[in-house]
This record gives sequence, C-alpha cells and structure tokens, in this order.
Amino acid sequence: MSNKPVQEEGKSILPTWIKGPQDFIGGLALVALALFALWASRDLQGMHGFSFGAGTAPRMFSVLLLGLGAAIAAVGVLSEGAHLAKYHWRGPLFVTLAILSFALTIRPMGMIFAAMTSFLIAACGSAETRWTETVIVGACLTAFCSLLFPYALGLPLQLLPTFLIR
Amino acid sequence: MGDLFSNLGLGFGVVFNLVQWSPAFLGGMSIPIPVNILLCLIGALVGTLVGVLPGIGTIATVAMLLPITFGLPPVGALIMLAGIYYGAQYGGSTTSILVNIPGEAGSVVTALDGFQMAKQGRAGPALAIAAIGSFFAGCVATVLIAVLGAPLTRVALAFGPAEYFSLMVLGLIFAVVLAKGSVLKAIAMIVLGLLLSMVGSDIETGASRMAFNIPELADGLGFATVAMGLFGFAEIIRNLDTGGESDRELVQQKVSGLMPTAKDLKDSTPAVLRGTVLGSILGILPGGGAVIASFAAYTLEKKISRTPSRFGRGAIEGVAAPESANNAAAQTSFIPLLTLGIPPNAVMALMVGAMTIHGIVPGPQVMQKQPELVWGMIASMWVGNLMLLVINLPLVGIWVRLLRVPYRLMFPSIVIFCSIGIYSVNNAPVDVMLAGAFGIVGYWLIKHDFEPAPLLLGMVLGPLMEENLRRALLISRGDWSVFITRPLSAVLMLIAATLLVLAVLPSLRKKRDEVFVESEN
Amino acid sequence: MNWYGRALAHASLAAAISLGASTAQAQTYPTRNITMIVPFAAGGPTDVIARIVTGQMAPALGQSIIIENVVGAGGTTATTRAARATNDGYTLITGHMGTHAASVPLYPKLAYHPEKDFEPVALLAGTPILILARKDFPPKDLKEFVAYVKANADKVNAAHAGIGSVSHVSCELLNSVLGIKPVGVPFNGTGPAMNALVAGQVDYMCDQIVNAVPQINGGTIKAYAIATPERNPSLPNVPTTTEAGLPAFQAQAWNAIFAPKGTSPEIIAKLNATAAKALDDENVKKRLLDLGSVIPAPADRTPQALGTLVKNEVAKWSSVLKPATN
Repeated sequence: MSNKPVQEEGKSILPTWIKGPQDFIGGLALVALALFALWASRDLQGMHGFSFGAGTAPRMFSVLLLGLGAAIAAVGVLSEGAHLAKYHWRGPLFVTLAILSFALTIRPMGMIFAAMTSFLIAACGSAETRWTETVIVGACLTAFCSLLFPYALGLPLQLLPTFLIR
Repeated sequence: MGDLFSNLGLGFGVVFNLVQWSPAFLGGMSIPIPVNILLCLIGALVGTLVGVLPGIGTIATVAMLLPITFGLPPVGALIMLAGIYYGAQYGGSTTSILVNIPGEAGSVVTALDGFQMAKQGRAGPALAIAAIGSFFAGCVATVLIAVLGAPLTRVALAFGPAEYFSLMVLGLIFAVVLAKGSVLKAIAMIVLGLLLSMVGSDIETGASRMAFNIPELADGLGFATVAMGLFGFAEIIRNLDTGGESDRELVQQKVSGLMPTAKDLKDSTPAVLRGTVLGSILGILPGGGAVIASFAAYTLEKKISRTPSRFGRGAIEGVAAPESANNAAAQTSFIPLLTLGIPPNAVMALMVGAMTIHGIVPGPQVMQKQPELVWGMIASMWVGNLMLLVINLPLVGIWVRLLRVPYRLMFPSIVIFCSIGIYSVNNAPVDVMLAGAFGIVGYWLIKHDFEPAPLLLGMVLGPLMEENLRRALLISRGDWSVFITRPLSAVLMLIAATLLVLAVLPSLRKKRDEVFVESEN
Repeated sequence: MNWYGRALAHASLAAAISLGASTAQAQTYPTRNITMIVPFAAGGPTDVIARIVTGQMAPALGQSIIIENVVGAGGTTATTRAARATNDGYTLITGHMGTHAASVPLYPKLAYHPEKDFEPVALLAGTPILILARKDFPPKDLKEFVAYVKANADKVNAAHAGIGSVSHVSCELLNSVLGIKPVGVPFNGTGPAMNALVAGQVDYMCDQIVNAVPQINGGTIKAYAIATPERNPSLPNVPTTTEAGLPAFQAQAWNAIFAPKGTSPEIIAKLNATAAKALDDENVKKRLLDLGSVIPAPADRTPQALGTLVKNEVAKWSSVLKPATN
C-alpha cells in the first residue's frame, strides 16, 4: 500500500541462485494457498451440462492463482529482486492479542471491559507507550465509545458484563 | 419543462414545509419548525458520522435507525434515511485519507492517493476536494434524476446478466490498471480476491463452499472485515515496525494549507467532471454498479493523465475523481427506486421497508401516486448535499488536527474503533477475529510488496461476476455467444479488450526499460 | 436418614426451590427487555410483520421488545443462534416457512430442528404467494400458463430470490405440482429478481404479495393466480389457484414466534395471549391487511396449532424439496 515500506533486510537463508527471495517466497505462498483452496473445494460439484457447478468457479480461480503464484516465484528465481524484509514480533503480537481479546470478551463482558482491556493490550505493541497517559486516554475513549455506539447510533451493543445484567 | 419546474416546486415545498409547534408553555403562541430540513440535517450528520467511523456500515445504521423513523411521517423518514446514505459517502473518504482505512468499497481507491497526500501534509486539501467534488457530483446527479429519471430507467432494465458480466470483466481490467508495481503481482492479487469471494454459499445450489462449517462464513467474508484487516490493522502493524512516531512528526511539520490551492482546483476540475459522468451512469445499474464507479473513475484519470506515475503518490485527481464518482452514483442509484419501485441495493431495500411500514409500497406508479414523496426526496437531496458541504468543510480543520495526536495513542484507538465497527456489522465476534487474521495477512502482503487494493476489488467483483455469468449461461442455455451478440454487452467487452491491450503494452515496454536500467547499474 | 435419603431430600429441596423460582419468574415475566431475533433484513416482509405485532405486544408486556435483525444463509444463521439462546423467554425469534420448515430438507447440515429445538409460541400472519410472469409472457390465464410451461418446459426460465427464499421454495412447489423442471435462475434477493422479471429477462416467478402488488397495478408484470383459498382484498381481480384450476398449489409464507426449547409453559402462554390480543387490535389488523397479509383465525393462534403447522410444513417441504436439491 503506499510507498515502498522501509525494508530492513533480514539475513537470507535461501540459496544464492534465488535472485529475488521476496518474490520467490511470495509466489510459493500463493501456490500453497491455491493448493489449499483446491483441496478445500474438492468435494464441490463441477460443471453439469451447460451450467456451472458450485465448484467450477473456485477451482478455476485456484488454478489461475496456482499459475500466477508459480510465475511470480519463477520471476523471483530469474530476476534480481528485493530481499526478504525483516519481521518484527512486538507490533503484530500485541495488536493481534488486542483484537482477539476484544472478540472474546465483547459478548460475555460487555463493551466497557472489552474496549478498555483491548486498548491497554494494543498499547503494549509500541515501545513508546507512556502508561499514565495511555490509561487516561483509554478510559476516555471507552467512555466516548460507550456513549457513541449504543446511544448516538443506536447499535445493540451490551455495555456491562452479562453476569451483572442477569 | 413546465412540469419539471412545478414538480421541483412541489418538492421544495415539501422540504421547506413548516410545522407549527405550539407548546403549552408558550401560551398559544406557535413556532414554525422546518421539520423536513431538520430531518435532512440529522440524516446528513448521522451519515457523516457513520462514514467516518470505520466498519460501521450504512446498511447497519439505516437498519438500526429504521424503527425510529416509524414515528415520523413517511416523507420525513425517507429524507432522513436518504441523508444517511449519501452522507456516508462524504464521511467515508475521511478515514481513507487520514489513516488509510477505507470504510466502504467506494472509498478504497480514495485511500490510494488520499493517504499519500496526508503523508505529505496535504490532508486538508484532500479532504476539502473530496467534499467539494462530492457536492458538485451530488448536484449534477440530483438534476439528472429530476430531468431524466424516467428515461434513464431504461438503462436499468436494459442491463441483464450478460451485460453485467461484461461490465464486471471491464471492472477487472480496471483493477489491473490500478496496480502501481508489477502487473503480474497485481493480477495475482485480483485472483486471490476472487478466490476469497468464493467463500460462502453457492448461489445456485446453496452448497457451502470453503466455509469449513463455520456459521459466520456461511455467507462469505464480509467486505468490511477484509478491508479493515488488510488496510486498517495491517497498516498499524507496519507502522509499529518502522516507528510510527517519527513518521507522524514528519507529517505534522509538513502540514501546509487546509484548503486546496488554485492549482489543486485547476487540476481536479476535469477529474471531478469525468468522475461525475461515470458515477452517474454506473449508479443507475441495479445491484452493484455503484461499487465500481469509484474504481472506474480512478482508472480513467490514471489512463488519460499525462503523468500517470503521479498516481498512488498523492495526485489530487486520484481523490477528486473517485469521490465525485461515488457520490454521483449514490444519488443516481435512487433512480430505479423512484421510477420503478425496485430497490437496487440493500440500503434502498431498507428504505422500501420504511415505506412499507408506512403502508406505501413503491411501484412503477410511485411518481404519479406519491409525487410529494418522490419530489420531496429529490429536492431534499440537493439541500442535503449543500448541508454536507457546509458540515464537511469546517470539519477538515478538526480532522487534520486529529493527525497531531501522537501515534502511540492513535493506534490503540484505531484498533478499538475498528473492532467495534466490525463487531457491529453482524454482532459476530468471529468477524473481529477474521479481521485480525487478515491484518496479519496484510502485513505479510506488505512485506512481499503485494498491493491490497486489487485484492479488495477482486473480492467485490467476484460474486457479481460469477453470479451474472451463471445467470447469463442459464438463460442462454450454455451459449457463450450471448456476451458478444447482445449489443450492450459486446460494446463493454470491446472496451475491456481495448483497455487490456493499452494496459499491457506500455507495461511490457516499461518492464524492458526497467531491466535495461538495472543492467546499466 | 441414610446418606442417599439426605441426598434425595437435598435434591428435592433444590428442585422445589428451582421450581418455585421458575414459577415466580413466570409470574413476574418479563422483568427486562426481550430480544426478538428476526432472521431477515429490516424492512422485509417478515421484519415488517414482526415489528407491527411486537410494537403492540411490548406495551402489553410492560417491557420493550428489541428487534435484532440477523441475516445470512436463508435465515438459518439467526435461527441457529436462537436455538442455542438461553430458554428464559428473553430471546425469541420470528421464524417463517423457510427457517422453520423448508430449511430441513434444504440444508442437510442444519444445526437445529424446527420441532426439536423450539417451542411454538404464536402464529402471526401469513403472506399469500402469487404466480407472476413478465408482462409479455404469451399465456393469458393460469390454464394457458400451465399448458404453456408444460409444453415448453425446456425453454422457460423461472426466477427466484435465492436458495431457501420464499420465492424459491414456493416455485419448487409449483414446479412439482406441474411436474416440470424449468431452469431456475437465482438472484440475490427479491429486488433484483423483480427487476429481471420487469425487464423481461426471465419468464415467471412466485413471490410474496407485498412486493408484487404495485408492479401488478402498474402493469409492469402480470399475476396469474394467488395460492390461497380466498381472493385477497389488495388484488380483487386475481383469481385463486382453486378458481383458476390448479387447486393443488397452495402456499403461504407464514410467520410465527418461537422460543428456544424448554422455555417455561407459563411464559409461552403469556406471550401467546399477548400476541393473539395484538392481532385483534384494529390498528395492527389494518396495517397487516394493507400489506396483503392474512391474519390467522383464533383457532389457529394457539401454540399447539402452530406446533401442528410446523410438523405438517416440514413434512410437506421435505417431500417437495428433497428431489430438488439432489
């Protein structure tokens, strides 16, 4: 998306005859995905007579993706390209944890709890987080959301934990 | 012509209708209240809010607010609901531009150049041109509905499954043109999008496809879920990688004017005009024509631009054209509803529901039988667009100031807003988890230099394409020639083929150039 | 008292307490808002009927009834959710012919069973089904239509609003009555299907009266017959299938309230009485009739009658739809 991400080069574990590891791995992953889709749609009906079956289009696109993925991998082998970018664990881990925590707590615990917890977990994802400030902003944001979504927009969101309502 | 003016007069009469309010405490005095104007304003405000909040979709909001409108007179109720619908088109561009999170299919392409403009400190002009373009398009489309609504209905009826399929093929070609980098990778992303759109249930047999018995996948992956993941969450994760803070400080230092300069206006005027025309035409098509309006407008600009390389790097035309197109399409998509009584999309179906509850079931005679309703709505659209312009231009300053919030506080807030937004679409926690998973996928895609925009377009077009292809073949009994024997379809296919050739030729040439450049180094 | 005697005493005491609690609960029910799941989008026929009736029920119960529209998979997503909800009377569902009958043969992996997982509460209203065709379709009346589609069974196209929709299952019933298998062209919802019919891209379809009346009156499509025993006041000129010579085709999209299995009989009785009373309200009646709906006779409004209806409908659709999906 946007301009090319700042690519920090990781150490390549791939053999040197692969000139563009980024494309090579990317292409291979698409091939794997296409194979997975072919497997997942294996028991769907194919063409019958003149009409498409449920499985026709998925298989068509899987095969196309398979070919394209292979082509991208081939380009990765043959032409000089970018190296694998370095992955960081902190951001992805905490943002994902925050999202998971929200998904798991929203129904049993209500929005106030879910939003606040998730905000704090997400904040762990950055080394720049200052805690006092984060807690205050998190509380304000939770309060704002609790007014905005259920009241101003009338969405059926439960604010409090279920065990408190019963 | 005389009819038109008397009809519009009737419409504006309805909009400016004053209701005498005489509360007891005033002791017999009564205050005239322009109820419909107020409802239009409320609709526009709610719509803006809905558009700005990521995830919260128009359909969900209109559905939620529907019960509130039961207590209102039908004209007022519809004016308000319509306001929400086109108001969301204005608001939708805001998050695309500021934080690279498109709230709806229509604002995906706005994010491409809008967010780049924001990064260059030009969020103000981007937001302003989006509002101005939308206003212009809204005005033109409203006039179009009033003057040509009835004849344009024929366009909606002339579009059968075969024409639709051809249009979708054209749309896919557009997607290829969208690509900034490798064409091969862009096509792979489109195909991946098409494949993802296959998840769910088969339209003809109802068979479950690649849904792995997860009930939340039974109807496929939601657009908002995937878009939030690939754009919203992935962007956050990526920013955390590179130390978002320094990036942001850079942005703040660079913030220049809030309003577009004379050059900006000069650059975007033709783009707004072309976007309006394209959007108005595509909006009339039932069921999904509006979705590709913004994609089409963006592609057109990029194709005819003398400097296509500026696109994707903060070209103001890349914001002006799609924003004008999607607002024009939002307005003209009322045509099938107002002239035939057939709702062309889910939001319109909800409006029909609102009418039904009031005992009005719209049909082909709705214009004759309910003139105040139809003309009141048309007049209210113009008033609503004006209100939206007045609401949105001052908001630009506030939005731009929001960018000054330190990223360490901004990103957890975006996570929360996106999570609530996705959850509220279906009240399904699984959707939130899926969006999280797509966040990781999006992060991986960025690392491998794949673009998410073509993937999303593939996802939007996939079902439309497959379903219409199958419908067309069912009706023609498997005869593929329908796509070239039906004139409209043939024209679309021809345009698609021409575009493809135009798109592939220069990129092949460029590829050679690139290789050449590299070997020189 | 030996140990098991004590255990028994405890158990019976516990049972007595819980029984007392449940009757007390039933007497005071409802003490908080009730959630009514509607398995279709807001504004659709089922949603409108649910809103009109619950709008009248809520004040009588003294609590609000919050409508939650949950769409997806022909309404089965929502119905699954309702089947798994706590059976305390605070989560109800307005199901219809599709979710609580036709879904059984349509979805072999259905996660609930309309009879085993739900308590019938009250039948609300039925929406008659019409046989519709594009305006320039050659047959002039139902007799000609039957002859025409039988003679051209391999040429005609029938539109429907998607697998599991009322228009789909009722069309399957019509086709099985006629003994034909035309090409069924699926659309995403009633709007696009109606658009195709108005534009003449498809030949005929079966649909609920609500959507069709204005188009019929506007002359953009034509109606051959209405599949109810009596003519409908909103379309006095359209004959019934019995009058027009096809008495075997009878179909109505009924809508009814269900509660999860095990909801206490007292609560069900209270809800049933409130719903039945709401149907007698003049305003409710008028609004339902305006939509072309059919209001059930008092004898058909009991939970038992609804239970029987569900049973018969499941059997009916199982025989019609089984062959269609294979």
